[in-house]
This record gives sequence, structure tokens and C-alpha cells, in this order.
Amino acid sequence: MQPDSDLEMLMSRYQRGDFAAATALIHRLSPQLHRFFVVQFASRGDADDLLQETWMRIHEVRHTYRAGEPVLPWFYAIARHIRVDHYRKARRTAAREERLEEMPEVAAVLPARSGGTPDLEALLAPLPQSQREVIEMLKVSGMSLEEVARATSSSVGSVKQKAHRAYETLRERLSGERRIKGRTGGAS
Amino acid sequence: MRDREIDEILKQAAQAPHDVDPAVLDRVAGSIGSTLGPVRPLPPAWVLAGGLVLICVSVALAGAARLGLYGIQKLSVLETALVFPMLGVLICLAAMAFAGEMIPGSRRRVAPGFLLGAGSLALLAVFAVLFRDYRTERFVSQGVACLTAGLLHAVPAALASWLLLRRGFAVNSIAAAVAAGTLAGLAGVAMLELHCANFEAPHVMLWHTAVMPLCAAAGALLARAARR
Repeated sequence: MQPDSDLEMLMSRYQRGDFAAATALIHRLSPQLHRFFVVQFASRGDADDLLQETWMRIHEVRHTYRAGEPVLPWFYAIARHIRVDHYRKARRTAAREERLEEMPEVAAVLPARSGGTPDLEALLAPLPQSQREVIEMLKVSGMSLEEVARATSSSVGSVKQKAHRAYETLRERLSGERRIKGRTGGAS
Repeated sequence: MRDREIDEILKQAAQAPHDVDPAVLDRVAGSIGSTLGPVRPLPPAWVLAGGLVLICVSVALAGAARLGLYGIQKLSVLETALVFPMLGVLICLAAMAFAGEMIPGSRRRVAPGFLLGAGSLALLAVFAVLFRDYRTERFVSQGVACLTAGLLHAVPAALASWLLLRRGFAVNSIAAAVAAGTLAGLAGVAMLELHCANFEAPHVMLWHTAVMPLCAAAGALLARAARR
């Protein structure tokens, strides 16, 4: 997570045509934007495409960022627009149905990365898209409620409600997983 | 399981490294570098909203002055004091909503759809309270004339507003179009209140108020067609 003032400074320099600032922004923000797409069920290949498309759009509309405003909501609002647009196009070309069939089933026990760290994508998989993006922005990108509300064009109340519902689903799921693990542990 | 434990699990999961193919980043940097130049940032949202308000008020005043200021001459002090401030507030809200929709990551004070619904109801309520003449003389012919005049005045307001915000970028084009339509529609309603001297309640409540939702619907349809 980056200090916002640092990003603001880079953004201002990018608007003035500084290539080093543009490259620094690309390298600093791309991993979290890429993860934002992967968390929304995009494959890594799709996420690569969406990331490139997002940066092209950011470049086109970079003049719409105003100094002093929070940077991350601006980036995420555009990334979100690209994702929604991509989803709409995919649905229009009728590939959507196939994608749903191809969508990975949510595993009964969450897969863990090496070292026992839970996999974020699998962890958020049972959540509806609107809740998933809110949790991703709040917990992964470290945005505040106000910033998430700006990025999703909604109110702080609505973001709170989505986060609360997401936590309820996660609690249910993680508690269930614990019970399964406990039983398996007890049997062995 | 407590929220703190879920927080901890999410925190651990978020800390796992997530790398992007360096070739992708190089490609992005290359594309951006080839067209990189200085840009002039948009003015603050309040400046844009102020410009939009000015456009609406100018269109309404100019239109009513051209057609004749019969309405405002016939309105009582109370009616004037209720109708125009209410229109002013709605125009300011619609202008702020439209300017916000055209700047990514802006704070959304009021959703355009909600503004349209609440604005229409507020206008209906004020008209219902103020106008108690329930006759319906030449209801359709006079109504269609007012509706047409209102819509025709909304068109230049919409075009000028779009021209002012053409450098913006709507992340939700339909919401932006609803806000723009609401704003343009309000310019049409304001023109009608200044011009139209027919204070029959059914006439004002239906034909005057209808300008706003019709403009918003037209905006939404245009945005939807453009998105395809």
C-alpha cells in the first residue's frame, strides 16, 4: 500500500508529461489492479488484457484527475468501468454462459498457498461480485470506506452494508471449514 | 468466528505476493510513453457545476423572454417564492450530480436516479399545494404545446452542458445521461414556469413536470444506444 500523497505527486507529474512518473505509477499500481481483476474471476490472461486496457483508458482520461482528490478511487473507478464493460461485451457475445459453466466450483475446504496462507481468490469466491470488489478494495488495497464509496459510485452506507454481508458469508464459510477440519482431525 | 479473525485471515491472504508479467508492464509503459504529453486537468467540480447551473438558468430565462414572461407575471409572491427556489435547488443538485458523474472517483452525494424520482415528486407536491384549479380546459392541446416547448428548450441546455463537460469521462454512462437529462429537463420546466400562465393543477402537474423524466429517459436511451 502506498502513501496517498506519494501517488498524488506521481499523478501530477504524469499529467505534466513525466515518463518516469508514469512508469513508477504503472509498476506500483499494476499488481493491485491485476489482483482486482483476478479476484473478479478473471483468468490471469484476461486480467493481463484488462490491465492493459485499464492503463490505456487511464492514459486517455488522465486529465480528469484533479490534484488534492484521492488517487486510488480514481484508478479503481476506471478499472471497475473496464471490468464491467468487459463483462457486458463477453455476455453479449454469448460466451458468458460457457464461462459460468467453466467457473471453478468453490472448494469445500479453502486451498492454501505454500506456507499455509489462504488463497485470496478462493477465499472471496463465494461472495457476490459487488461484495467481492468491496472487500478487495477495503482489505487488499487498504482503501477507506469513503474511498471505496467513491470508486464504486455509491454511498458509505451501502459500502458498509456490503462489507457486513460479506463478513457474514465469510464467517459462515470459515466456521464451517473449521468444523470440517476439526471433525477430520478428530477422526484421524 | 469474530470479525477480527476474519480480518486476520484476509490480511494474510492479501499479503501473499501478486506479480504481474514484466512483459505486460513493459508493453503498457511503451504504449503510454509513445503518446505521453502534458495535459490540462479538469477544473474543480464546483466550477463545472456552477457552469452547468449558469447554462440552465440562461436557457430558461432566454427561452421564457422570447416566448413571453406571462407565467411569472401571474404568479403570486408565495407561488414565486416556493416554485423558483425549489427549481433552483433541484438545478444545483442535478448540476452537481452531472459534474460528479463525469469525473471518475468523485463523491456521489445523490444518485441520479434518486434525484430524478425525488425531484419529480417534489415538483408534483409543490404544484399540488399551490395550484387548486382542477379544470381541464383544452387539456391535451395546451399540454402538448407546453410539453413540446419544454422539451425543445431542454435540447440546447443538454447540448451546452455536454459541451462544457466534454472532457470528462463517465464511468457509468447511463447514470451520467440520467443526470444530464434531469438537468436539461429542469431548464425546460423552469422556462415553462416563467412563461406559461395556465395554472390549472392537472396541466402543470402533468405536462410541466413530465419534461424532466422524459428528458432523463431520452438521455438514458441515448447513452444505452451509444454503449452498444
